[in-house]
Amino acid sequence: MRIPLSWLREYVRVDADAQEIVGALSISTAEVNGVQRVGVPGELGLFRVGHVLEAEKHPDADRLQLTSVDVGEDRPYSIVCGAWNFGAGAKVAVALPGATLPNGLTLERRKLRGKVSEGMILAEDELDLGSDHSGIIVLDDGLDAGTPLADVLPLVEEVLDLDPTGNRPDLFAVYGVAREVAALLGGELLPLPGEEPKRDGDEPVGIGIDDPAGCLRFIGRLLRDVSIGESPPWLKARLRHSGVRAISNVVDVTNYVMLTLGSPLHAYDHDLLRGGLVARRAREGEQVRTLDGVERTLSAEDLVIADGERAVGLAGIMGGEETEVSSSTANVLLEAANFEPVGILRSSERHALRTEGSNRWEKGVDPHVAGPAATYATQLIVELTGARWTGAEDVQGELPKPAVIRLRPERVGEVLGLEVPENEQAEILGRIGFEQLKKGFRVPTWRARDVTREIDVIEEVARFKLPEIPFTLPRREEMFGRLTREQRLRRQVEDVLVGAGYAEAYTSTFVAEGDLRLPEPLSAEAAALRAVLYASLLEPARRNADSGAEDVALFEVARVYRDVGHQLPQERWHVAGIADGGFAEAKWAVEQIYSALGLESSYERTSEPFLHPGKAARTAEGWLGELHPALLDGAWGAFELDLDALAEAAPEVVGFEEVSPYPEVRQDLAFVVDEEVPAADILASIREAAGELLRELEVFDEYRGEQTGEGKRSLAFRLAFGSLEGTLRDEDVAPVRASIVDALASRFGAVLRA
Amino acid sequence: MDTVARVDPDDLEKEALAAAAEARSLAALSEVRIRALGRNSALKLALRNVRDRETGTKLNAVRETVEAALTAREEELARAELEERLATERVDVTLPAALVGPPKLRPRGTLHPSTLVRRDVEDIFLGLGYEIVDGREVETTRYNFDALGFPDWHPARSTRASLFVDDDTMLRTETSPAQIHKMEERRPPIYMVSIGRVYRRDTIDATHFPIFHQFEGLAIDEGITLADLKGTLRHVMRQLYGEERELRFRTHYFPFTEPSMEPDVSCFNCGGAGCHICKHSGWIEMGGSGMVDPYLYEFVGWGAEEYSGFAFGMGIERTAQLRYGISGLRPFWENDLRFLRQFR
Ligand SMILES: [Zn+2]
Repeated sequence: MRIPLSWLREYVRVDADAQEIVGALSISTAEVNGVQRVGVPGELGLFRVGHVLEAEKHPDADRLQLTSVDVGEDRPYSIVCGAWNFGAGAKVAVALPGATLPNGLTLERRKLRGKVSEGMILAEDELDLGSDHSGIIVLDDGLDAGTPLADVLPLVEEVLDLDPTGNRPDLFAVYGVAREVAALLGGELLPLPGEEPKRDGDEPVGIGIDDPAGCLRFIGRLLRDVSIGESPPWLKARLRHSGVRAISNVVDVTNYVMLTLGSPLHAYDHDLLRGGLVARRAREGEQVRTLDGVERTLSAEDLVIADGERAVGLAGIMGGEETEVSSSTANVLLEAANFEPVGILRSSERHALRTEGSNRWEKGVDPHVAGPAATYATQLIVELTGARWTGAEDVQGELPKPAVIRLRPERVGEVLGLEVPENEQAEILGRIGFEQLKKGFRVPTWRARDVTREIDVIEEVARFKLPEIPFTLPRREEMFGRLTREQRLRRQVEDVLVGAGYAEAYTSTFVAEGDLRLPEPLSAEAAALRAVLYASLLEPARRNADSGAEDVALFEVARVYRDVGHQLPQERWHVAGIADGGFAEAKWAVEQIYSALGLESSYERTSEPFLHPGKAARTAEGWLGELHPALLDGAWGAFELDLDALAEAAPEVVGFEEVSPYPEVRQDLAFVVDEEVPAADILASIREAAGELLRELEVFDEYRGEQTGEGKRSLAFRLAFGSLEGTLRDEDVAPVRASIVDALASRFGAVLRA
Repeated sequence: MDTVARVDPDDLEKEALAAAAEARSLAALSEVRIRALGRNSALKLALRNVRDRETGTKLNAVRETVEAALTAREEELARAELEERLATERVDVTLPAALVGPPKLRPRGTLHPSTLVRRDVEDIFLGLGYEIVDGREVETTRYNFDALGFPDWHPARSTRASLFVDDDTMLRTETSPAQIHKMEERRPPIYMVSIGRVYRRDTIDATHFPIFHQFEGLAIDEGITLADLKGTLRHVMRQLYGEERELRFRTHYFPFTEPSMEPDVSCFNCGGAGCHICKHSGWIEMGGSGMVDPYLYEFVGWGAEEYSGFAFGMGIERTAQLRYGISGLRPFWENDLRFLRQFR
């Protein structure tokens, strides 16, 4: 909502500059995006009312006029001008040499086709008062030459850009904002603008409401003998500064009154209507061509304004093209109505058509303001077009009664943490139109939709007291303050991977294919929720490698989603990683994770279509391996683990064993075994055969060569034995060693290397 | 010449397709290719001697069919040969990484800037005695909208604004549903922060992405006031942006709080004098907040005035942007190592 401040000040007398107004509004009323100074940027004194003394064609240029203009100086100024819509005697807007125009151009004395021009006679676009450049501005004849132009036209304007929230339809009106400014800054709010002009006749208008749920009120007014033309400069300037295009005097008035009071209006060419107007639901399939030239097919849920034969507009959203006011219009039917918000919103969505009107209706406009809007618009149309007001009808059902809400004074302090005396509460509420009655406060009609409960009334007091509310902390009797096990584990896994050289990635939840598809996908690539994480890392890995990054290693911790036949999918936390270099990279990362969580891991050969068939392993909580080269060029290690499963498996408490004071006996053993026997199986057998004296066991070497023979390899193990009882002697360890050798020989045909 | 002219295109095709199917290796297939399509193949000779348009069209069609069959077979064989080669590259997956690799010695990695902020936020609230709740991401409209007092007409309910899985199921648009679940789970005192991914239907550009991360706090207890909200948020903002920060409230509207306010923090860059970061206002917008609407208490079956509480919500990415001076949202999702590796 763009609000020219000069306009605002027509309705509120307040001793505050733009910054003070912005400050107060933004704290207590609505966000202010800024104040923009528009119009003439510099010295205003060089803009004058000029009296054209002489005007004739430029001797050397057919399209130029040579004029002599009285600008209030001791001699007339000669000005060359390109417009022809005026002649000697006209009062015009003049900028003298040295003046800077809104577009930044500074005027100089200069020659045009050999004739000196001392300044410029201005068109409205040159003053940023409108978009028209077809002719210069012709001012009121009664003005004196030399009068400061700023007294006549809004050469400079400060425009407030206010962004009210959807619950405050009253702020989509200059007068509504003025009401807030008056309340916030202690100004005086002037009465609503508009005075009924004299009625010149009592013709029937023929207004009806067929759908009282959709249309609460319908005022129709008949205005005859309008002369359609341009609006005066002040009106065009106001509209322009508010971001609304000027069209013609009648249409401009409807927009101006909407901007002033917040209740949209519409004007019809009365001679093009066939009979009176009624607000009714559309017939299924009924058609109307709206002002934007679009032929719209309506449904029975759309509210329309119809004459005796057809729909002539989509109610509250946009009028119809066939009955629009045009330059040949002589008689106007003015509509000021009130429409129910949700229906307008739905229609506006259905037809993908948002207008200044629908934007207001969908927030809920006060039905009581339709009357003043009709009055003000009638007055302006009569004044600006010379029309006669010849007929009026106001059809309304039962308008909602203003609610009276009880406010317990102590509740304000309980909610705010700041005591606000009862009389101050009443005083604040009074300023914004809440009348204090015996039973409580009567909500003003323009806030009826938003303020329905005591807490809503408290908010009204609160917004005036925000800066005064102190800073305190809740008084606590119970504390939480600890991460859950799952959250701690997640952090641990992240830290392990960072330590292993991985950078954390964040990738999209959405993928092209998955078992949870979105009925209305974001795009073909974002059409379903992902069931695995690793696939999302392929693209970033490839891109980083392509851009020359070294040691590319990425991981992500996020959720995956599976349809398990309930309304809500199963969501589980996963971790996935990808690293250049191949199988060992994935293995290292996964080993680190298990080890950090104090979890034993076991690896089994597996096969997955996306993994290298010879380099793929499964653990109880996920998989790891080398990516299949068809998936991504080069050798890449990848893994994905279910973090929730890891959390379930990980021991909650560290189980420690007592440390022996006696030295351990260390032994290295190497066996030649078939290639196919996994090291893990041998480790398990050694552990089983070694019994309770075994303290440590690891495989530390793998060797293939002439000595091992075809299809075989040598694996070397490091063992440590110990006891709490005493130092172990060779005799204690020898039988254990023998039983290990026997066990491996019989189970795997393993041969101990000398 | 006569013999060439009498060649039957259909036979040529049949013969070439059979030969391609029979080839057992890429080497064999390349021989088939030479025989079928080479300079001296019957097909090429026939093509060279074409006299009428009809025969030419037919022969060209044969050439294309054969070409396609050869290419398809080539891919098939290449894949098979790759698989065969891969099958011979076996490692003992049970061996430690040190023995199958060894793995690379890599420089230390990094956490994503959003995770750095997330952890910081978590730690600040843990220090205030709040629990951290993840909550689910796919929610029912009941918890995402109804419970939070979104009116029927609220634009967020539309498929243009939110992402739906079906009519009643959607991706959460804020982390607040987790708070309703907590309220249903137990009675106050509740002091919690829910953190995680939230979703809006946004077209991807420099400043929009359909996914972002929020942290939302909820405190419900006996006698909690708006002043407590103000004090809590000032503490959190000072922790995040420096001890000198000031906090102010601006009135606002949210469906699930009443009164509702947006908190602003005095600009850490200019100290309030005005700069590009604070859009020359001296204040930086931080998110939304307010006193829990009594509607929520009634929704979970408590009395409207048994407890009182406050709630607030802010963006993780926005916090990271402010802290690190990141502009736009793209860097958060591009996963460019040159970006990520700066967050040590
Ligand atoms: Zn600043």
